[in-house]
Amino acid sequence: MDFTTTRSLDAMVDSLPEDYQKDYKRFKRAIDVLTKEPEPKVGQTPKELIWTKNKAKLYRYQPAKVKTNKVPILIIYALINKPYILDLSPGSSLIEYLTDKGHDVYLLDWGTPGYEDRHMKFDDYVLDYIPRAVKKVLRKSEADELSILGYCIGGTLTAIFTALHPNLPIRNLVFLTSPFDFSDSGLFTKWVDEKYFNLDLMVDTYGNIPPETIDFGNKLLKPITNYIGPYVSLANRADNEEFVKNWTLLQKWVADGVPFPGEAYRQWIGEFYQKNKLINDELYIRGQQVKLSNIKANVLNIAADRDHIAIPEQTERLMDKISSEDKTFELVSAGHVSVTVGKGAVKNTYPLIETWVREHSGA
Amino acid sequence: MTKQNTLDPLALWKSMYEQTESHFSEAIHETLKTDEYAEMLGQVQNSFLQYQQLVRSTTDMYLKQINVPTNEEMSSVASLIVNLEEKVDSIDEKIEDELSSKEVSLEITKLKVSVSKLDKKMNQVLQASDQLDKNMHQILEVLTSNKKETPAETTSSQPKDKK
Repeated sequence: MDFTTTRSLDAMVDSLPEDYQKDYKRFKRAIDVLTKEPEPKVGQTPKELIWTKNKAKLYRYQPAKVKTNKVPILIIYALINKPYILDLSPGSSLIEYLTDKGHDVYLLDWGTPGYEDRHMKFDDYVLDYIPRAVKKVLRKSEADELSILGYCIGGTLTAIFTALHPNLPIRNLVFLTSPFDFSDSGLFTKWVDEKYFNLDLMVDTYGNIPPETIDFGNKLLKPITNYIGPYVSLANRADNEEFVKNWTLLQKWVADGVPFPGEAYRQWIGEFYQKNKLINDELYIRGQQVKLSNIKANVLNIAADRDHIAIPEQTERLMDKISSEDKTFELVSAGHVSVTVGKGAVKNTYPLIETWVREHSGA
Repeated sequence: MTKQNTLDPLALWKSMYEQTESHFSEAIHETLKTDEYAEMLGQVQNSFLQYQQLVRSTTDMYLKQINVPTNEEMSSVASLIVNLEEKVDSIDEKIEDELSSKEVSLEITKLKVSVSKLDKKMNQVLQASDQLDKNMHQILEVLTSNKKETPAETTSSQPKDKK
C-alpha cells in the first residue's frame, strides 16, 4: 500500500472509526493553515488618501458615509505596527465600527521606515508629522475641533504632542493601552537596564531595529503562552472555520511589524524605559519641555488587565499628571492585542470608545 | 461509557499544555526576572550584535571593491529625495496657508469686487463706444447725403464763375 500520496492516506483514514477520522481531519486542517493558507485580507474599510509625507500617509475612512458626529477623530497608532491593526477585518475593526456609527475617522499611517529614516526621532513625529496631520484633518472635515485616539506608543506620542500644543483645538483624547510611567514596566525594566542592555551598540549596528527583535522582546514576556499556546489552540480547534479565520488574523497582527526607526528607538528605550523622563516632566522635544499638566482636553484612558506590554499601572499614572477636568480611566478585561480585535473588543472596547467620544463631542 | 474512546494525540498535547503551562510559565517567569538572566540576555545580544557588525563591515568592504553601492550609499540618495519632498511639502503648506488665511481671502474678495466693477465699466465703455460708432455712422451718412446734393449745385454755378 502506497502511503506517500495524500489520497491514499485519506482513503485509509476513511476506513478508520469516526473519531479517528475527525482527529485526522482536524490535524490535517491545522497543517494546511500553517503551510498552505494564504495571508488573510486586512484593512478593508474604504478610505481615501488625504496627504503624504515621506513614508507617512493620512487616510480618511468611508468618506461617502454620512457624518453625524461633526468632531473628527484622528487615530495615531504605534510606530512598530502596520496601519491595519485597528482595521483588521470586517466585523473586527474599530475604524469600521466608528465610521458606521457616523464618526469622521482619519488615520495617520506611519508607513514602513527605510534605512534612510534611521535618524527619525520622536521630535520629528511630534513636531513635524502630527501637527500637519491635525491641520489637514481640520481643513478636510471643516471642523473647529478634533478628537485624537492614540494606541500604545501612538498614545504616548499623542500625549507629548498635546502637551506641546496647548493652543490647538483638541477636544477629546482617547488613550488605548499607552504607557506613560516607566518606573515599573515589568520584565522590560530589568532587561533594558543600562547595566546589561547595550542600547547604543544595538542602534548603531542595526540602524533601524528589525521587527523580529521587537517581536522577540514582546513574546519573551510570556514565552510559553506566546510561542506554544497559539499552536495548541489551533490544533485543538482547527475544525472550527470561524476560529481559524480569527487565529490567522491575530497571528498576522502579531507577527507583521515594521522596523523601529533607530533614533526613535534610542529615545524610547533610553529616555522612557531607562530614565522615565516623560512622567517626571524631564523630557525635552527639540528643546521644549514636555509637561503633561498642559493637557486640558477631555480624556478617556483605557488599560487592559492582562496587558504585559503596557501594564495598567504604567497607563493609569497619566491621570494624576494631566489638568483635564473631564477624565476617565477604564480597565477592561483584555490583553494588549485583544483590546483592539476579537469578540471581546467588539463587545466592550468599541462601544466604550464610541459612546464616550459621542457624548463628549456634543453630538 | 465515555464518548471519547480513541487516542487523540492533539487532545493529549492540549491537556498536557493546560496542566503544565501555568507551572512552567511561573518557573520561567521567576528565571526571566532575575539579574542573572538579564545579564545573560545582554551578553548574548552583544555577541550577536558584534557578529552582525562584522558581517556588515565585511559586506560593505566587498561591495565597495566591486563598485556596487552599499546600503549606506543607497540611503543617502533616498535621503536626498526625502529632503526634496520635505521642501515641496513645506511650500505646499505655505501656499495652502496663504490661500486659506483671512487676509488673503479678504484681498481676493476685494480683487473680485474690483474686477466686477471694472467689468461693468468696460461694458459701459463698450456700450458708449457702440453708441459713438452709431452716431459717427449717422453723421457720415448725413455728410455723404449732403455731399451728393452739393455737386449739382456746383456744376450749375461753374459757368457763372467762368463768365
